Amino acid sequence: MNAHETALHQTALWWARIRAAGPQLVDADGPTPPGLMRLAEPGGSRVWLTTVLPGGAGPAVLDELDLPRPVLEQPNDTARVLAAVLKSCWLDPSGPLWPGATAPFGQIVATFEALTGHDEVVSHRAVVAAVRRLSWSGWLLWDEQTRTVRLGPRVATWAATELSTLRELWRSIPVPDKAAVRDTETEMDGDTS
Amino acid sequence: MGMTSPLDTTSPVDMTLDEAATEAAVLRLYRQIFAVLAREAGAMIMDAGLIDVDEAILEAFAEAGSDGLTAAEAVAACPQFDAVTIERRFGLLRDYRAISKVVDRKNEQHYRAAFAPYVMLLFLRRLTERGGQSELHQLLTLEHLNVTKPDAVAADGQASVARMTKIFRLLANELASLVQRGAAEALRENAQLLWGNRSLITQAEEAHATVLTRWPELATDCALLRISLAAYGDAIESAAGRLLEQAGTTRALGLLPAETWLSFARGSGPQTLATVLDGFVFDAPAPWFSAQALAEAVESARQAGGIRLRPPRPENPEPADPAGIVPADDAADLRSSAERLLAAAEASRDNSEDPDGERVSVADVLSGAGDWATCRRLLAEMTAIHHHPDLGYELIWSDGLRIDPERSPSWTTEGWFARKDR
Repeated sequence: MNAHETALHQTALWWARIRAAGPQLVDADGPTPPGLMRLAEPGGSRVWLTTVLPGGAGPAVLDELDLPRPVLEQPNDTARVLAAVLKSCWLDPSGPLWPGATAPFGQIVATFEALTGHDEVVSHRAVVAAVRRLSWSGWLLWDEQTRTVRLGPRVATWAATELSTLRELWRSIPVPDKAAVRDTETEMDGDTS
Repeated sequence: MGMTSPLDTTSPVDMTLDEAATEAAVLRLYRQIFAVLAREAGAMIMDAGLIDVDEAILEAFAEAGSDGLTAAEAVAACPQFDAVTIERRFGLLRDYRAISKVVDRKNEQHYRAAFAPYVMLLFLRRLTERGGQSELHQLLTLEHLNVTKPDAVAADGQASVARMTKIFRLLANELASLVQRGAAEALRENAQLLWGNRSLITQAEEAHATVLTRWPELATDCALLRISLAAYGDAIESAAGRLLEQAGTTRALGLLPAETWLSFARGSGPQTLATVLDGFVFDAPAPWFSAQALAEAVESARQAGGIRLRPPRPENPEPADPAGIVPADDAADLRSSAERLLAAAEASRDNSEDPDGERVSVADVLSGAGDWATCRRLLAEMTAIHHHPDLGYELIWSDGLRIDPERSPSWTTEGWFARKDR
């Protein structure tokens, strides 16, 4: 097996891993096989590996071919929560999405409230459920200890063409009232694994 | 009313015997030709398999020689089809005179076949197999031969050019209307109109060049031919463009006929098959959000939150109690004003005209007011008190007029503001 084949082999293995378990967190000193994207964690000792999808070959093709997507509960509220996280963690929309900043859970809830106009109880429940779904699929990272949220490695797979839409979206989301940002004492009910 | 006979269009009365005979012969040929396509008298076949039956029957006649065949012999000669079908087709061919009695007499059982139906059949076969391409090529070759014949005259050239013009115009029209209005699938089904047709144009151009050099007076007809050729070329271009565009944007794998996909799938090795999906990842193992989907979700949330709701209302809005509706009542205010006026008059009593304090002179009230604005207000109040139904005061005017230029107001009408007698 020559070097090229070895690299192909490695790429195939990594793609399979990422396909099965989402973006992978590895030590920063390891190699990056071709066809993979390297996203440095803050601190620099660990990196996320995720796949580089060729343009026109991403999940958007599913819609084009009218094939079913993975089923997602509450797709609209989940997307809104992701938008709220985007607003809270992407401090400089002219820059790259990754790694973004860390935002407390209360701020996400407040942004979601400002976004949807739901009351606090409804918002809190929706955000808890959506954060759980989104952190499972790698769209955001939830830290149980500090009760903070930041953008997950999957956001780096958004193509450059989509970033302009996201910037527009970022600008259109209202900034929540400072007073509305409560450091909610209530616990995240359920686990976030 | 005109006396035109209804027969004029169908059978001209002044037709000579010769002409009538010629027309009958032409009609007979047409009937023979189309016999192979007839399902029953007056209708087209619905099943392409019937053509095979016809072919078998006609082949049997070719084998039979000059003696001809009876219906029973034809059935025997075509063992691959069942007897009923053969007999039915046989009768039909006979009705259309594609086969006729060897000797025209009653009870003649032997029939002979005309050759035209078989030629037509061969032609139809070729047409269905190759989409008429090679026939078109051959026609064009024939046209070219026609116009290069040494004994050809200008009329031949003109007729030839006119035929070619019509062919290409029809082709171009069909293709162009498909491109403009048809679905991509319809265009694909008619794609044989597209394949390799550059050579058709080249052939036609050769014939065109020959005509133009031999008979320069046909320049106008040749120009028409050139126009229809160009239109056809354009239609090919735009049809090809449309097909490519469809294939590029929709990944409509159905653009190729199903048979092509089948033979590709059957005839290719795993390696070849795998290359088809090179560079394609359709998989979304986890939920995926496109930027557009995010924006839409946020937008819909905003719309839902932005709807202005009607303020809550009671379940059963009852009409307000009519008895409860009372006009704003200033009776108390007015009463106190009236008492104040009367009391003031009593306090400053220097006339003995009102011993009871029951009335006051309007002129006195106004002269004591001081300025016009107050006068006006007092007058208005007194008028209102006078008119109020619940108050027992009245304003009585008399004819006198008090004029004094030194005072303000300088003149006043005499009158009394008085308590009503109960």
